[in-house]
Amino acid sequence: MMRGLLDRPSTTRRGGRLLAGLDAAQRAVRRAGIQGQLFSLAVVVALFAAGTGGRYLSWANVRVILSLAAIPTIIAVGMHQVVVLGGMDLSVEGVVALCVVFVGLLTRNNMNRNDIGLWIVPVTLGIGAGAGVISGICNAKLRIPSFIVTLGMSWVLWGLAVFVSQGQTLALLDTRFHPVVTGSIGGIPNLAVLAVLLTAAVQILQDRSQFGGYLYAIGGDEVLARQAGVPVQRVKILVFTTAGLFYGLSALLLSTRLGGAQAITGNNLLFPAVTAVAVGGVALTGGIGGAKNSALGALIVTALNDGLILMHVNPYAQDAVNGAVLVVAVALTIDRKKLGFIK
Amino acid sequence: MRSFACWRIVNTIAVLSFALLAAVGSRAAAADAPTLAISLRTLSSPYQVMYKTGGEAYAKNVGLALDVLATEANSQKGLADIKAEIARTGGNVAFYVDPNDATDAIAIAKTMDDAGVYWASWWSKPADVKVWDYSHWVAHISFDGFAAGEFMARELIKTFKTPGKGNIIALQGRLGDTPNGERWQGLQKVLAENPGVKLLQWESAKWDRTQAYNITRSMLVAHPNVDGVWAANDDMAMGAIQALKEANLAGKVKVVGCDGIPEIFDAIKGGLAAATVFNDGKYQAQLCLALALAAKQGKLDVSSLPHERRQFEIPAVNVNHDNVEKIVHDYIENTPNYDLKDLFARWSRAMP
Repeated sequence: MMRGLLDRPSTTRRGGRLLAGLDAAQRAVRRAGIQGQLFSLAVVVALFAAGTGGRYLSWANVRVILSLAAIPTIIAVGMHQVVVLGGMDLSVEGVVALCVVFVGLLTRNNMNRNDIGLWIVPVTLGIGAGAGVISGICNAKLRIPSFIVTLGMSWVLWGLAVFVSQGQTLALLDTRFHPVVTGSIGGIPNLAVLAVLLTAAVQILQDRSQFGGYLYAIGGDEVLARQAGVPVQRVKILVFTTAGLFYGLSALLLSTRLGGAQAITGNNLLFPAVTAVAVGGVALTGGIGGAKNSALGALIVTALNDGLILMHVNPYAQDAVNGAVLVVAVALTIDRKKLGFIK
Repeated sequence: MRSFACWRIVNTIAVLSFALLAAVGSRAAAADAPTLAISLRTLSSPYQVMYKTGGEAYAKNVGLALDVLATEANSQKGLADIKAEIARTGGNVAFYVDPNDATDAIAIAKTMDDAGVYWASWWSKPADVKVWDYSHWVAHISFDGFAAGEFMARELIKTFKTPGKGNIIALQGRLGDTPNGERWQGLQKVLAENPGVKLLQWESAKWDRTQAYNITRSMLVAHPNVDGVWAANDDMAMGAIQALKEANLAGKVKVVGCDGIPEIFDAIKGGLAAATVFNDGKYQAQLCLALALAAKQGKLDVSSLPHERRQFEIPAVNVNHDNVEKIVHDYIENTPNYDLKDLFARWSRAMP
C-alpha cells in the first residue's frame, strides 16, 4: 500500500480514535474526489425524493433547484479560487451591495432619469473587479491577511452602498435583462445554463492553462511555488479580481430577478457561498478543489434547502442544519497538517 | 528607581489634568443645547430611513442637532454607540431607540438611568420588562402588531375566489422579533375564526427579499394551488411577488405585507398586493424624540405618569386598494405636520 503524506501515524497518537476516524474519513473523501460530492448529492436527492413522495423529483421542482442554485454557483465559482490559494474572500456581500445600488441608479429606474441600458454590464463587472483588484493588492503586496482585507472591503463597500442609495429601494424598470434571468432554453432555466458555462470556462482554465498550474502550486505550497518562479503576487491579484468580477455579475442577475435594487440585496450571500465551496470539496487550507467542486457544492446546498422546505422541516431547525453541514464539510476537507495547531 | 518615581509623578499629573479637562469639557457641553439622537438598526432599510427623515424634520423644527446611530444588527455595537454618544454629549442628549433585539432594551435602560439620559423606544422589549421600573425610560411604544396581522389576514381572505375558503402560505420575519410575533398572532386569530382558510406552510425569510423569493419559489412547488401569501413585512412580500410572477401567478394570487414601503403601494395599485399596514416611521421618530426631549426639559414628569402611559400602542394606518392613493399623497409624497402638542393624542391601548 502506498503511504502518502496523509498516512502519518503521529495524528493517531496525538488526537485519539475520534481524530483517527476523521482522518480516515478525510482520506476516503479525498480519494473519491468529485465522486464524493456526486454521491452526497445522490444521497440528498434520494432522501428528499422518498420523504416527499416523489414530488421532489418533479420537473417543476428540479427547475426551481437549478434556477435557485445558479446565482450561488456563480458566487462560489468566483470565491473558491481565493480559497484554493489558501485565503478567504469575505467581500461578496459588500461588493454585491455596491454593484446592485449602481444597477439601480444607472439603469432605468423610478428615482432618476438615467438609462444606460446594456452598459451596466461592464459597469457592474468593473466595480466588482475593481474591488477585487484592491483586495488583491492589499493581500499580495501589502501582506495583509485576506480574511481581514476582504472583511474590511465588505464593510467599506456596504457603507458606501447605503450612503449612495440613501437606504432607498429603486425599482428596476429596464426589462432588457428579464429574459436572461427568467427565461429558459429547452425547459432549463437560462441562469442555470449561464452558471454551467461559467463553471466550465473556469474549470478548463484551471485544468489546461498556465494560470491553473500556478494557482494550485501556490495553494499547495506557496514557498515552493515562489522558489520555482511562480509570479505569486500577480496570480493572487488576478484571482481576487476574478472573484470580484463574478460578484458583480451576480449582483446584476440578482437585482434583475428581484425587480428592485437595494443595498441589503447583498445580505445573506456569504454563508451559502462559503458552505457551497466547502461542501463541494474545496479545502479551506488551499490547493484542492476547482470550479466544478464549487458548482456541485452550490447545487447540493440549494437542493438541501429546497428539500427542507418541501419536507416541512421545522423552520427553527433549518439554520441548524445548514450550520452543521458547513462544519462537517470543513472537517472532512481541511488539511490539518498544513495548519499545525487548529485555532 | 528615581526615573520610575518621576514617571509616576508625571503620570499622575497627566491623569489629573485629563480628568479636570474632561469635567470642564463635559460641563461646558452640558450648558449647550441638548442633542437629539436616534439609534436604529440600519439605514439600508427604506422603512428605517423614515426615522432619520422624520427625526431631521423634528430637529429642524426645534432647532437642535440630530445624530443617527446604526447598530447594523449588532447589539454590542448598538450599546457601545449609545454610550459613546452619551459621553460625547456629556449626557446632554435625548434618545429615540429602536432596539436591535428585545433583550437589548434592558442594558440600554440601565445605561440611560445611570447616565441620567431620557429616552423613548419603539417595537422591541421583553414582555416581562416594565418601563416604569426605570426612571429615565419615558415610554415604550409600538404599533398594534396584533391589529396589523389581523387586518392583513382579513384583507387577504377577501381576495379569495370562494369567499372564506382558501389556502395560504406565510413568510415570517426574524423569529425572535416582537413585531413578528405580534403580527403572527394576529394571523392566527383570523385563521381560528375562519376554519375554511388553511395555512399550508410557513417559513422564516428573516425580513429579507431574496430569502422570501427563494423560499416562495420552493413553497409554490410544494403547494401549487395556493390562494394567497401572507408576509410579515413588505420587503418579503415584494420577494414573494417576484416568485409568483415567475410561476405566472402574480395578480391571481395576492400578497399582503406590512410597513408601507413605496413599492407595496404601487403593487396594491397594480393589483399584485392586497393590503399593507403603513407604519409611519417619521411619526415614530418625532413622537419619541418629543417625549424624550419633554422629559429632559422638565415639561413632562415621567415619575408621575400612570403605567398605561409608559408602555402603550398606537394604531398604524391600514392601507388597501380603497385608500392607497390618499395615503401615498398624505404620508409619502409629503411629510404631514404632526401635532405633537398632546404627546398621548394617539394613545390607543396599554401594553400589557
